[in-house]
Parts: sequence; structure tokens; C-alpha cells
Amino acid sequence: MPTLTPTLTLTSSDVTSDELNFSVTDSLTVTAPSQSLSTVVADTTGANTILKAASSAVTYIFIRHTGTTDGSTGTSQLLALENTDNTQFGSLKAGEWCFIPHLSGSLGIQLQSASGSIQAEYGYWTAS
Amino acid sequence: MATTTATVSITSNDLTPGSALSVSASSTLMKAGLTTGLNQMESGVMNIPTSIEFRLGPLATQAGPVADNTHNIGSYLYICNKSTDNTYWVDWGIHETMMGRLYAGDWMFIPWNASDDDAEIEIEANTGTNSIEWAFFNSTVALPTAAA
Repeated sequence: MPTLTPTLTLTSSDVTSDELNFSVTDSLTVTAPSQSLSTVVADTTGANTILKAASSAVTYIFIRHTGTTDGSTGTSQLLALENTDNTQFGSLKAGEWCFIPHLSGSLGIQLQSASGSIQAEYGYWTAS
Repeated sequence: MATTTATVSITSNDLTPGSALSVSASSTLMKAGLTTGLNQMESGVMNIPTSIEFRLGPLATQAGPVADNTHNIGSYLYICNKSTDNTYWVDWGIHETMMGRLYAGDWMFIPWNASDDDAEIEIEANTGTNSIEWAFFNSTVALPTAAA
């Protein structure tokens, strides 16, 4: 089985007097189905941009707001992160990203633009 | 204002034959709608027993130290299941809606939108007591009001 290694690093020299600088790394054994890094253009209807359907297996999802509408035209609109019941649980500003371990047998993950179009980059990998 | 940077890398040498995966992204954590950095954070490590739903972070309507200074703003949340037993896991969700699962060693990072109290982040341990590491970045982290 392939191994996926996600690493998060959080740093700040001035949020506290004790410098913030730590990394956490995981080693994930993954299997099909997976979605290689891809791009999608979200509009203002979440149901039009379902990234991942409901699944009984844990799926690790990476999503990034590219800061553009189409790969070249800039946008600062917020990109809402929702489940397929239209419940928003987060929003990405231009350039921001998230990494989520998703598991729901009834609800998937979808994207919705606050206004206009937003190009997002995403990929997912299923835990074996 | 503080500058806090979140960086992710996702790599794999054997996911696709002949094509190693190497994803990297970085962003600076900003106040909602602004270009200034977040300047408050909370973090900690907790052991959570099974069969109890816990809330991470404040409620959207939880009052801050200044009038109308509630938590209805963008925030960032990091959670890591530091348990070492591979049979342990923590489910996470939005209020009563399950969203995902953190097995031992797994982590997540989301720009959490605390839009209302029903957007609270809930976690629940399974199999045994799980050890959770977390950090919450916000522009209006409030301390609990002291008893009279």
C-alpha cells in the first residue's frame, strides 16, 4: 500500500514570548479511491462543486484557494467549506488551505464561492 | 501584529508509479476580512475519555472582554490525536453532525468559521482515553468570566 506523509508546520516569532515553531507529521497508508491534485472552479451553489461524496472510509482531503477565478484572474472572495447538507464549517481566504480527515456515511464535502467563481486546488486519499 | 504561518507538505514516493507526490502550501493567518495578523491563541493538551462530546474553542455568541466582541469571526483550528494506540480514534464534527475521524497520530487544520453556536467544533473519543493536542488562533479569545 502507498504511504502518504502529511506535515504541518506552525510558526510565529511574535504571537507569544515563547517562539511558536512546531511540526507534526503523520504516516498514512492509503488506498483507492484517490484523487490526484486537481483544480475545480466553484460557483455560488455548493451542490455544483462536490469534491468528495459520502464514504464509510476515512478520506484525507487537501483543499487550497488559488486566489483566482480561473487560474489567472485574481479574486479575494471567500471560499466556503461545506458538507453536502449545506452546513458551512469553514472558509478559505485567497491562498489559504486546509487538511481534513473526512468520514461520513451520509454527507460529502463541497465548495461554495461567496460571490462569482473561485478556482480551488484539491486532492484526496482514502485510508486503507 | 503577530505573524503566524501555517505550512503543509504532503508527500509520497509510491502513490503513483513514476511520479512522486510533493504538495506544499503556506499561508499567513489573518484576521477576518483584514490583512493584519491574528494576535491571540490558545493551545493545550487534553486527555478525553470516551462517550462524552467535548467542545473545542468558544461558542460564536460567547461574549468577549469587550461588548459585542463575540466569536462570530474566522478562526483557525489545529487538532492532533497524540494517542499512540492504533485502535484509538477521535471523531470530530460540527455541532451534532459528524465530519471526520482522527486516528492515533492524525492531525487536521481548518480555517474554522464560527458563524453561530451550531458551528461549534465537537470531538468524541473512542476505544479508550485519547490524548488531544490542539491550538486555536483567533483575534478575540476570551477568558471565562470570574465567579462573583
